[in-house]
Amino acid sequence: MSEAPPLTGEELRQLCEFLYRRTGMAFDEAKRYYVQRRVTERMGATGEGAFPAYFARLRADAGGEVEQLINAFTVNETYFYREDHQLRCLSRDILPERARAKAPGEAIRIWSVPCATGEEPYSIALWLLENWPEVDAYDVEIVGSDIDTRALEAAQAGLFGRRALMRLSPDLVERYFTPAGPERWRILDDLRESVRFTSVNLVEPASTGAHGRFDVVFCRNVLIYFDDASRRLAAENLYDALVPGGYICLGHTESMSRISPLFAVRRHADAIVYQRPREGSRD
Amino acid sequence: MTEGKPKRVLVVDDAALVRLYYRDALERAGYAVDEAMNGLEALEKLLVAPVDLLVVDVNMPQMDGFTFLRVLRRQDLPVASIPALVTTTEAGPQDRAAAREAGANFYLVKPVPQDVLTVYAGLLCGDAP
Amino acid sequence: MPLIRKPSPAAPDAVPARDPLAALRDGSPDERFAAARAAGGLPGGVPALAGALSREADPRVREAILTSLSRAGTPEAVAAILPHVHADDANLRAGTLDALRVVPGGLGPHLPGLLADPDPDVRLLACDLARGLPAGEAVALLVPILDADAEANVCAAAVEVLAEIAGPDALPALEACARRFPGDPFLPFAVRIAAGRIGARTPAPDE
Ligand SMILES: C[S@@+](CC[C@H](N)C(=O)[O-])C[C@H]1O[C@@H](n2cnc3c(N)ncnc32)[C@H](O)[C@@H]1O
Repeated sequence: MSEAPPLTGEELRQLCEFLYRRTGMAFDEAKRYYVQRRVTERMGATGEGAFPAYFARLRADAGGEVEQLINAFTVNETYFYREDHQLRCLSRDILPERARAKAPGEAIRIWSVPCATGEEPYSIALWLLENWPEVDAYDVEIVGSDIDTRALEAAQAGLFGRRALMRLSPDLVERYFTPAGPERWRILDDLRESVRFTSVNLVEPASTGAHGRFDVVFCRNVLIYFDDASRRLAAENLYDALVPGGYICLGHTESMSRISPLFAVRRHADAIVYQRPREGSRD
Repeated sequence: MTEGKPKRVLVVDDAALVRLYYRDALERAGYAVDEAMNGLEALEKLLVAPVDLLVVDVNMPQMDGFTFLRVLRRQDLPVASIPALVTTTEAGPQDRAAAREAGANFYLVKPVPQDVLTVYAGLLCGDAP
Repeated sequence: MPLIRKPSPAAPDAVPARDPLAALRDGSPDERFAAARAAGGLPGGVPALAGALSREADPRVREAILTSLSRAGTPEAVAAILPHVHADDANLRAGTLDALRVVPGGLGPHLPGLLADPDPDVRLLACDLARGLPAGEAVALLVPILDADAEANVCAAAVEVLAEIAGPDALPALEACARRFPGDPFLPFAVRIAAGRIGARTPAPDE
């Protein structure tokens, strides 16, 4: 197989503009090497020898090429403590603020959607036990939801391989998991039982609506794959699933600015997050 | 603008070729340029990295230029007072009034010649030629 | 264990208890928001949403109305959205365009009318909407704009889209368009970039 020739300056610009408009991921000449590698990979996989033909395929989204290209640019694998700066933001800024808004005895509700095979909602539980000093003072309810019921079964089972645990210290693994065969670990029952799993379709208002309202939603690494219509609807569904003043965290390559004007953007020390305005607020 | 750190400009426009046209003019005049394609993205970028000047289109997806300026101007943060040059295809008197009310410092009707853009940029950044 | 698993009994319900079509008229902003989301699927929902869109001043409720209308996607629903591209309020114009961009199946039949609208700002916005069409159809609609539209800014919006999708057939029209507005500083720049990109996409004759 002959290597595709390097992209010309104009070709690179065109591709970057397409990606920027479609996903908000911003690359330029300075990232040429990184972009070129991924485009070459996709051109090889689609059998397109020339950039113009590949770009036409991409624009027409033939064979789901947009998703394929996004996949090439993002990490599709989920793991414990992924993007932990958001977890830090959760315990340092978001939860103290939400807790102040609660009546005595009222639960703080957190939704991990999509949760895939469970690493994300379990990470939230684990992080809070380790890093939120007030965790004992409140009832915290964590729900993990996904459209993929096989992923949900795996989440429920709570068995993980080495790669999923790679960001956890040996001490955390030791304290919260038990070995369950070669290269397998099972999460402790206490933790397993602290997350409730449900199936959901993010673009179905009745389906998201059935989950009630949350203080914090983690919706990471899924909206980037949706088209404009689905993103808009999913964002509206999530807005509806938040209490006024509640927060949504997106993946680090994602931004609400491409999706919906419903939320106000907030900068905390550790992360940019989006907030459903409190009632009567002008934001 | 030859000494010190270059002044930073955020160009907010949904049209890629327009952003490129402004960038071309501003970079040649010594500014450092960043881009956003609508008002929401601009707000987000300003929270992370403030700039010295905004060049803002009016009609954009998700958040138009006037709403952007209104939201920006009432933030309780230093970025709230960044000077803004609005460039738009809408030339009517009610549009000018809306721009002023939203907090624009200057209002230029498109197409804006590149040298006109840099003159106004210089004025608003306090380094007039 | 402070983390609890049972569903919290007080999980507030997002669905309004009242008849959505009534709540759409006189509910609180939150009730109107929920009602707008529910109304799309109800008999009489589309006309109720159309009426609400003309009255509604809260931008978030307006978003929800526009989403429901664009999801409904019927000719009646699209007809309710379209007039607002003329709105004086830039915020409503932006919302209208965003809603039109996501109408299922696209705006195909409406685009020729919008591209011929007497208001140049509507024609300009329509050029951007053409990006959602298959490339061949969009080129066929936009090249005549280059040839004939009286407003340089409308032509510039057409060039913006053509730079991404057109083939070499469009080059003469692009260059002629830049010549049609000799005093315009932006069009020659835009056409030069567009021509460069189209050239870069054009396979050499022997391939
Ligand atoms: C890349 S994973 C993200 C997992 C985790 N949030 C993370 O960031 O690591 C994407 C997940 O989105 C789920 N998904 C795709 N479409 C969905 C939809 N319409 N509703 C709910 N989940 C969906 C997939 O099943 C998959 O598990």
